[in-house]
Amino acid sequence: MAATEIQLEDVELERAVASLTARRRRGTNILYSILGALAFIGFWSFFSVFVYPPYVLPAPWSVAERMWELVVSGEVFSNFLASFLKTMLGWVLALGLGIPIGLLMGRFRYAKAFLHDFVYILANVPLIVYAVVALLVFGINPFGPAFVVMLEVLPGVAINVAAGVESVDRGLLAMSRSFRRRSSQTARSVVIPSIVPFLFAGGRVSFANSWKLAALAETFGGTTGVGVQIEKSFQLFSVVSLLAWMFFFVIFVIAVERFMIAPFERWVFRWRRAGGADEGSP
Amino acid sequence: MTLVADDVIQAPPRHWYGWLVSDRVARYTARVVALLIWQWAGTAFEEIPTPRGTFEFLVDEWHRGEIISNISISLVRAVIGLALVLVLGLAIGLAMAKWWRVRYTLTDLILVGITLPAFIWALLVVMWWGFSNIGPIVVCVVSATPQLVVNTFQGANATPGPLVAMSGAYHVPTDRQFRWLVIPSMMEYIVAGYRSAILAGWGAVLLVEWFGNDKGVGFRAHYWYDAGNFEGVMGWGLIMMVIILLFDRVVMERVVRHYRRWRVGSAGWSV
Repeated sequence: MAATEIQLEDVELERAVASLTARRRRGTNILYSILGALAFIGFWSFFSVFVYPPYVLPAPWSVAERMWELVVSGEVFSNFLASFLKTMLGWVLALGLGIPIGLLMGRFRYAKAFLHDFVYILANVPLIVYAVVALLVFGINPFGPAFVVMLEVLPGVAINVAAGVESVDRGLLAMSRSFRRRSSQTARSVVIPSIVPFLFAGGRVSFANSWKLAALAETFGGTTGVGVQIEKSFQLFSVVSLLAWMFFFVIFVIAVERFMIAPFERWVFRWRRAGGADEGSP
Repeated sequence: MTLVADDVIQAPPRHWYGWLVSDRVARYTARVVALLIWQWAGTAFEEIPTPRGTFEFLVDEWHRGEIISNISISLVRAVIGLALVLVLGLAIGLAMAKWWRVRYTLTDLILVGITLPAFIWALLVVMWWGFSNIGPIVVCVVSATPQLVVNTFQGANATPGPLVAMSGAYHVPTDRQFRWLVIPSMMEYIVAGYRSAILAGWGAVLLVEWFGNDKGVGFRAHYWYDAGNFEGVMGWGLIMMVIILLFDRVVMERVVRHYRRWRVGSAGWSV
């Protein structure tokens, strides 16, 4: 039934990325991976030296130099921290609002039908519309980016919590009732473990997008953060600075993914490895 | 992620008020409530436009002849860009699936491409080409292609190996193997990937138009923002949304369902 189908295409993207990286092996593959990067830098150097003037396409080494300047002056850290805090605030709000909404949608048919359109629309709106909304509602204000990050993350959280609720093993619930477990205990050992994998699936996907959106909203109407620095480089017509911030952005997203999200996920799912329990992932 | 487990939730009880809690009425109630909240927010806060004001603005804009011309310019740009995305994404994705050297050479570049925000490309492109038609198309291609590449790659890997081997053993002609096995198993992924590529590509075109262009939907929204007319920004923002949602609903959802139809019924016994 079309009415109840909400597609979050990004989930599939996430899985596709996983399938791409899962096949990585050591040795020659790393060699080819380095070859790819070198080829890219080689092309870039060629065009920057022989074809375009430096203010159009600066050489890789001048971008590296600019990046080093930004690191030494500490601008990178203060701005990424500002963007990071806004994004986190958005996430906290999205979880606080999205989990109850997801629980309602998973439990009550009426709530699912009522909230369907909101969730569908929020999940399928181009990022620029969010940024415009932040600008309209909040003006030049640090809460604008946080607010739209919340809007952007919310559908993924809600849908996945709803799917998690629907996947709860009815037999286990009945058994907990027969054995007169308290509902808090049932929630902790039956309901939450079946929701959390879904929550992670939804969360990981929105993660990369939420940084992009936070930076974009800052570009539109922020006072601090990466987006503001990028906007400034644009106003000064400085391609060097823009490219420097662009590479910092990539490094930042990959670092957060590798060093914060992945360890956190391993910690949350430690019970799976310990008991060799049945995988409940969607 | 698909939400289809309807059977888990009990059907609503048949009371005299049963129609009030039916799915259809619930969805219309939601729309009316949303409109009321918007109207309330518009009247309560100075800077938020009301639905009525936005509607009147759109009527005025229509009489000025701006709506059709700008929408068609943006659509032409998006269509050209997305056609290129389709060709490039399929070619790169299939090449990565076929040759492992290509795969390992490009994997990291593709992952970086997915991470890069479209708006940084948009700013770069505006600095490089200024007000042009090339800018929106280029950003559309660079920001949407990596997504299609990974999905195509995954689709190509989803080919049922044992079935292909069996067809080989029973001497099934190659073209029939391709038509009945390889394409159906791949298309599901490709279509889903292209659907998200369309959303990304449309957003990219709008961004470039906002940051530096003299035509198009994004330009028009920026124009009214600079003029301080928030109803104008809201109106054009609404147009951006409606176009992508309509296309997604009317075209892409059907296409996705079409390519998934063969899976229905096999769910019970498929591995």
